[in-house]
Amino acid sequence: MMKWWTSNATNPTEVIDGNSSFEETIQKNILFTNMESMVAWGRKNSIWPFNFGLSCCYVEMATSITSKYDIARFGAEVIRGTPREADMMVIAGTVFIKMAPVIRRLYEQMMAPRWVISMGACANSGGMYDIYSVVQGVDKFLPVDVYVPGCPPRPDAFLEAILLLRDQVGKETRPLSWTVGSQGIIKPNKVSMKDLQGPERLKMTEIRDPDKI
Amino acid sequence: MKGITSILKDQFLDVILCIQETKDEFPTLWIQGNHIVDVLHFLKNEVDLPFKMLYDLTAIDEQARKFRNGQPESRFTVVYQLLSFERNAFLRLKVPLTSEEPSLPSVTSVWPAANWYEREVYDLFGVKFTGHPDLRRILMPQTWVGHPLQKCHPARATEMGSFQLPDSKQEREQEALQFKPEEWGLDKNLGGDELMFLNLGPQHPGTHGILRLVLQLDGEDIVNVVPDIGFHHRGAEKMGERQSWHTYIPYTDRVDYLGGVMNNFPYVMAVEKLGDIEIPDRAKVIRIMMSELFRISSHLVWYGTFAQDLGMMTPVFLMFNDREKALEVVEAICGARMHPNWFRIGGVAQDLPQGWEKLIQGFIDYFSNKLKEYDKMIMQNSIFKARTVGIGVYSTEEAIEWGITGPGLRATGFEWDFRKKQPYSGYEQFEFDVPTGKNGDCYDRALVRIEEMRQSLRIIDQCLRNMPEGLYKSDHRLTTPPRKERTMKDIETLIHHFVHTTWGLAIPHGEAFCGVEATKGHNGYYLIADNSTSSYRTRIRSPSFPHMQFVPEISKGYSIPDLMAILGSVDYVLADIDR
Ligand code: SF4
Repeated sequence: MMKWWTSNATNPTEVIDGNSSFEETIQKNILFTNMESMVAWGRKNSIWPFNFGLSCCYVEMATSITSKYDIARFGAEVIRGTPREADMMVIAGTVFIKMAPVIRRLYEQMMAPRWVISMGACANSGGMYDIYSVVQGVDKFLPVDVYVPGCPPRPDAFLEAILLLRDQVGKETRPLSWTVGSQGIIKPNKVSMKDLQGPERLKMTEIRDPDKI
Repeated sequence: MKGITSILKDQFLDVILCIQETKDEFPTLWIQGNHIVDVLHFLKNEVDLPFKMLYDLTAIDEQARKFRNGQPESRFTVVYQLLSFERNAFLRLKVPLTSEEPSLPSVTSVWPAANWYEREVYDLFGVKFTGHPDLRRILMPQTWVGHPLQKCHPARATEMGSFQLPDSKQEREQEALQFKPEEWGLDKNLGGDELMFLNLGPQHPGTHGILRLVLQLDGEDIVNVVPDIGFHHRGAEKMGERQSWHTYIPYTDRVDYLGGVMNNFPYVMAVEKLGDIEIPDRAKVIRIMMSELFRISSHLVWYGTFAQDLGMMTPVFLMFNDREKALEVVEAICGARMHPNWFRIGGVAQDLPQGWEKLIQGFIDYFSNKLKEYDKMIMQNSIFKARTVGIGVYSTEEAIEWGITGPGLRATGFEWDFRKKQPYSGYEQFEFDVPTGKNGDCYDRALVRIEEMRQSLRIIDQCLRNMPEGLYKSDHRLTTPPRKERTMKDIETLIHHFVHTTWGLAIPHGEAFCGVEATKGHNGYYLIADNSTSSYRTRIRSPSFPHMQFVPEISKGYSIPDLMAILGSVDYVLADIDR
């Protein structure tokens, strides 16, 4: 019998081993593929953030909720006060050593699927604070899906992170049920915005004159 | 009026070890440690025109210091800074401790407000205070080993090995965070009734940051509140010991992170005092203009979130929009929004851009009428009033006792604004009123801040109309390297240019304190220079620290929803508490 499957070569989430058995292949039939993408579509358009902030960056994160930036445009305005109802945790601010166990506990209280955005230099790497009380990047103890540079990142930059995360979430493959399909989570590769946008940015030859408004 | 130094000499001649000259010209006396309680008691309660406020209490690790100029021998020096409102003067007392395991009598019997300060000194320096009611660590985790502000403690996280959080450590740390009433000195019963404990934070939307409060409750009524702080301790003071004088400025931005350049202000002025640097008028006025703009923007965040804490949804959106307008101006002038890092030692980073007048005028026109609208929406709203009038009341005396400054002090009816009383940077030339309240409750604290925004707008308007011409930074040799063209002509200039741009300036040894009327209260920097390119000791006396210590005092007897109103009305920022 002919083996067949649907997958997109440039899209790692849908890559399936070429030697799958007949049953496995059947599990990947049209209905399930559509179901998967439908669920992913739902997920990506309703990412509920956890109302959690650590430091200065949180102020810019909160600003992105307000009218000028309006995070509701991307379906992420349903701020949850408890981790159990949230899909996404934004590590907005400095990761303090004293706070690390608390952050981890909060993360563990979130139900899968769950995502983490690391917002700002501090959360990415410790930033300006290579100092005794600060963890040098939240990824020392949490998996991070999107990193946002800046100190603090502008609200616009945070919104871009939401867009990137939406993209990722839309492409992620997760089991629909414990009886259906493979049980692992397949995440798309992270893209480097520096690589992606670098050439375009390098074209800029004139920098705005700071003496003019 | 007899000077305080001679009064003390008359009273305590044999316990005064030495009188020190400092750059800030505050009377600075070295006192024998075993008499410190008597001396402080005398200064607070007995002397004419007393020193009613314990403004600051901190320490210095002297072990690496080179230039001490005849100061008494000391391994750790504990510093008490007092403020007398009647004299309008500060006073500094120092106690030398020579032992490697230093200890000193606690002064909590004179000032209960010394409690947290002594805990901080214990935590960061390892100095023990005998007779202290609750000498536990306050900023660092209870499991921490060592005292970070000792010179021998590593400064960098990268010197201390990579951070890991295995399950065993996670469990241990969680265990250390467990709340045990006995350890915190709290009773489980009150008159036969069993009390309830509620843990609020460190993650809670109502605490405005990573602050933990443990509430001791009798039903819905608050018997006591115990704040647990330090989750936001970012080592800002230790950072000062390794950054150069100039590269420390960005760290100040992040202390009261809503206050932006207002944080740069006391720091650069303290350095200027140390280096005898005069700054040009234009720079002074630019500094005032930008600081007042940040006062408005900070108060707007407070206003919106305060209303939100009390259940109003709309105001926060309106006010963040207004804040955006202010930040647009800030960004056009300074190039960044929240942390512009824009003041420099000797002036500001850059001259105002062409067309700045239009921006400022635009903001003034836009904002002038907004507050009136908000008065109707919020201040006259009956629910808002019911939630704030008569809640969290305290008197002027209590405020002074606990080190409260800023709007929280003025709301009690005491007209004390450092911009008027000890003018700096030319504030004496501006016309503005100092708003005060009457009742010292949440509502009055709100009133004062709102009126302050109007006054700030007045000041900004005066800056706009009277901006002096001239330089935007001083050409003092410590602040500005020699002109590049001249470096090509002689070796001397070249060397100076090189040293200045690589190592940065070396400030001559000395000590100075400088404070400003910041957004949350009086914010001061106490700097010790040791002829080096970075500070020997940087002390940040932030207003939110004493304000948070005061919260339990003003929350007892109220209910939990009232506590939310009280916290909102105090207007603190976690980085300003923990630094
Ligand atoms: S990255 Fe910058 S703005 Fe963000 S928390 Fe750290 S210091 Fe604050």
